[in-house]
Amino acid sequence: MKTNILNITIALLISVMFFSCKDDVETTKVNSLEGLIKLEEGYAIGAAAKVEVWGKKNFFMGYNNLTVVLLDSINPTDTLKDAHIYFQPLMTMPQTTGMPMKHACPVENPNEMAMNGVFPGAVAFVMPSMGGAWNLGIYVHNHKNDKSATVNFEVTVDNPPTTVMSVFTSQSPDSAKLVLSLLQPQAPKVGMNDIEFTIHRKASMMEWPADSTYTIEITPEMPSMGHGSPNNVNPVHVGNGHYKGKVNFTMTGEWKINVAVKKDGTTVSKNVYFNITF
Amino acid sequence: MYKILFFLFLVFMHLQSNAESLKLRSPLSDTVKLREVMVVSNIPLDDKDILNFYRTNQFSTLDNINARLGGLSLIKRGAYALEPQMNGFSGGQLNVTIDGMKMFGACTDKMDPVTSYIEPTNLKMIKLKSGTNGSENGCNIGGSMDMTLQEPTLNTKQSNFASIAFGYESVSQSRNILFSTGLGNKKWAWMADGVYRKTENYRAGNEQIIPFTQFEKTNVHSALKFSPDKINSFKADILYDMANNVGYPALPMDVSLAKASLFALEFQRKAKIQLKAKLYFNQIIHVMDDSKRDSLYLLKVKPVGKSDSVYMRMDMPGKSSTLGAYFQMRIPWNENNHLTIKVDNYSNYSIAEMTMHMRYAGFAPEPPMYMQTWPAMLRNVAGIYVENSTYLSPKLVLTANARMDYNVDNLQSEYGQQQFSIFNYTLEKVQGKLIKSINFVAQYDFTNDLTLTTTLGHSERMPTIGERLGFYLFNAYDGYDYIGNPYMKTEKSNFVKMDFQFTNPVIKINISPSISFLNDYIMGITDFNIQAMNFYANGIRVYTNVPSAKLFSTDLQLLYTPVQNISAFWLSKFTYGEINHTEVMPLIPPLKNIIAIQYQKDELQVQAECETALAQNRINSNYGESKTPAFTVFNIKGAYGFTLSKVSMNFSAGITNLFNKAYYEHLDWGRIYRPGRSLELYLKMSY
Repeated sequence: MKTNILNITIALLISVMFFSCKDDVETTKVNSLEGLIKLEEGYAIGAAAKVEVWGKKNFFMGYNNLTVVLLDSINPTDTLKDAHIYFQPLMTMPQTTGMPMKHACPVENPNEMAMNGVFPGAVAFVMPSMGGAWNLGIYVHNHKNDKSATVNFEVTVDNPPTTVMSVFTSQSPDSAKLVLSLLQPQAPKVGMNDIEFTIHRKASMMEWPADSTYTIEITPEMPSMGHGSPNNVNPVHVGNGHYKGKVNFTMTGEWKINVAVKKDGTTVSKNVYFNITF
Repeated sequence: MYKILFFLFLVFMHLQSNAESLKLRSPLSDTVKLREVMVVSNIPLDDKDILNFYRTNQFSTLDNINARLGGLSLIKRGAYALEPQMNGFSGGQLNVTIDGMKMFGACTDKMDPVTSYIEPTNLKMIKLKSGTNGSENGCNIGGSMDMTLQEPTLNTKQSNFASIAFGYESVSQSRNILFSTGLGNKKWAWMADGVYRKTENYRAGNEQIIPFTQFEKTNVHSALKFSPDKINSFKADILYDMANNVGYPALPMDVSLAKASLFALEFQRKAKIQLKAKLYFNQIIHVMDDSKRDSLYLLKVKPVGKSDSVYMRMDMPGKSSTLGAYFQMRIPWNENNHLTIKVDNYSNYSIAEMTMHMRYAGFAPEPPMYMQTWPAMLRNVAGIYVENSTYLSPKLVLTANARMDYNVDNLQSEYGQQQFSIFNYTLEKVQGKLIKSINFVAQYDFTNDLTLTTTLGHSERMPTIGERLGFYLFNAYDGYDYIGNPYMKTEKSNFVKMDFQFTNPVIKINISPSISFLNDYIMGITDFNIQAMNFYANGIRVYTNVPSAKLFSTDLQLLYTPVQNISAFWLSKFTYGEINHTEVMPLIPPLKNIIAIQYQKDELQVQAECETALAQNRINSNYGESKTPAFTVFNIKGAYGFTLSKVSMNFSAGITNLFNKAYYEHLDWGRIYRPGRSLELYLKMSY
């Protein structure tokens, strides 16, 4: 009985502490931006919003988690928490003859309600800036004043030292152009790791929707030793073009994850793999 | 009253060790000259006589001696650090202790059994107990081997001594130096002993030089004793053993360093109630080394896509530290009963790592590949042992003993936890288990000459760290990578042993058949779903509890002394093992005989020995075994002692493998030939 009372008291104390902190959590944006750096900032003038783009590192070819922070341009201490945000990436590739070629890339637009004061989303840049110029447009519809505008950033998209995206043409009659991005593991360790991919399909130059109709099979191997690892779990679709599974690493070193993307049981990818070294 | 007590004590000692009992009864024991502080001479008498053969060469390694003990066989991976196997049991199935102190090798591949860190010169006695009855120092199923360290003697003629000896073996150009010295007065005594050995690659019977059989080692042991009165005494021991550049021809790598240090403090009270308390710490560091091996492999993989030479190195260090204490009481609580109580606790911390470095010709080195082959683990075992001997009649003595150990495995390494997530295990950080052992021993003297001792017992043992958490341990014998099972059950044994002993001044015979019925026997079972890690491995075996196994073993020891100067000894050992009633248990030696004849007159001693083993055709090829042919090997030795102005000299010479036979034993890994004919010379000077 005595211990019961003690337990209840402790529980109460903890809940009091929890509730008292809650406000801080909601108002602080620092937490949501921990470990991130500010990549871009500018004004969506017509929407009276200052737009900041945060990410772990500079833009790279692959799936970029981007966090948008909206501030009231008149009162910059006021964070906007209700807005529609659309990523509008555009690659312009100058052609030797004729008009420059323009295309977009897959995006995941943030929810209209901010999470912890920020708007997390993603852009999967399908090529580095070397072949042309990337422009990242961010369309903001500020629900506070019901005004909208677009801010444009000229961004440099790096070619990462380790490839985390494969853009390929499906070996199927539709010859669909597919974008396979490796999202996880970002901090690989010996043992069982989550592995996550996204698949997007190029519907047109400007439309790259998520595609859930594929299946993914992974075969990790350690090329230098010629062995793999047991008990891997093939990624399955979990929504919005995301596929999640498990990958096992028995030791540190350089691993190669062979990926077979399948449609209706037939492999449509060809020699797709990602290297993970740790 | 005191006489009865003394007699009881004798009876008790009798049960403690049959060997010792022989010593007490045997009229022969008087003829044994124990003038010197000698190693082998203090080994229990029933094995002593064959070991006398080795007294002529003090440079016998402990392995050499163990090979001659009843029930013991040796698993050989090289010329050094042979692993004892008792009646078919080895590794974690045996309790190998030093004066009751626990010590554990630091090598994942069993390249450093505890016996490899001890030299015969450090030892006063080796006590063997077989089967479940060897649980005085910890629950176990296969038996126990307790090595008692040499100790200084107070205020006797033997207190002050010094000796130095030199030895040479031609087959391996083995050079050995041994020393032993002591000082003592009424209250204080000190002693030190040590060995230095350096051995080159030996030559086998077919004249072939066997590469990677060299080793170099240094061993020093020192003890200090203080006795304020006749009853109480304090003792401190330090032992340091270091081996370098040890070759293991049967394995893909050698050892650059195997180092052990041991510290012990002891208190003893020898009153009516005897007390003994001990506090100890020991540490082993074991570093494997493949730098002298041809580490080039042809692999058809990255980065060129065709076969190419690959340069590969593996760093495999291991560490094992043990801190422990025990307290023991012997109480003659009434005229017919004698009680021993022992409480003990030890903690062992073990870790072994592996880092592989690879380089393809013309390419930058691959990133290092790291894993914990034994993830850091702390094992704490607290135990209590109780033994009571009841003297029912002058002819019958009953002894019962029981032990309980509470074993707590505390996984220290998060890395290890992560590693095992690969096999879909969620590893608990702490795992506790209670393990038990119980034995009954009845000894009945039919006549003054004939004694029958029957032992019945049940015991279990904890799986070793390798069996629980081993991670891709390559076994060069069957060529498989072994993986542990974190939730392995204990291995259990029901044990029966009969000991027939016939003793009279002319002949002594000891026949001791025993059988162990094992449940949840631990062995590696092939798992086809997991790929091997080493590219030269055949596959994966996971340590598994096999429902049942059986081990039958019998020894015959016969000592015949027809006339005063001549004695003959015959030792015969046989073991038979099966798994699940059908499968042959691997690594079981065939019938082996050792016959020795000794002639001794005054200071001259001549001995001839014949070792034979039958062929082993009962094999399990799934576990890397192949048939082993029979062999016979002859050894001769002679020794002569004389005194040269107060310095006593002992010179001996011998030839082992007289007919230069090319042979190997069944437990020799890699079927590597043993040394050929060798001339052994030895000179000892003592003061």
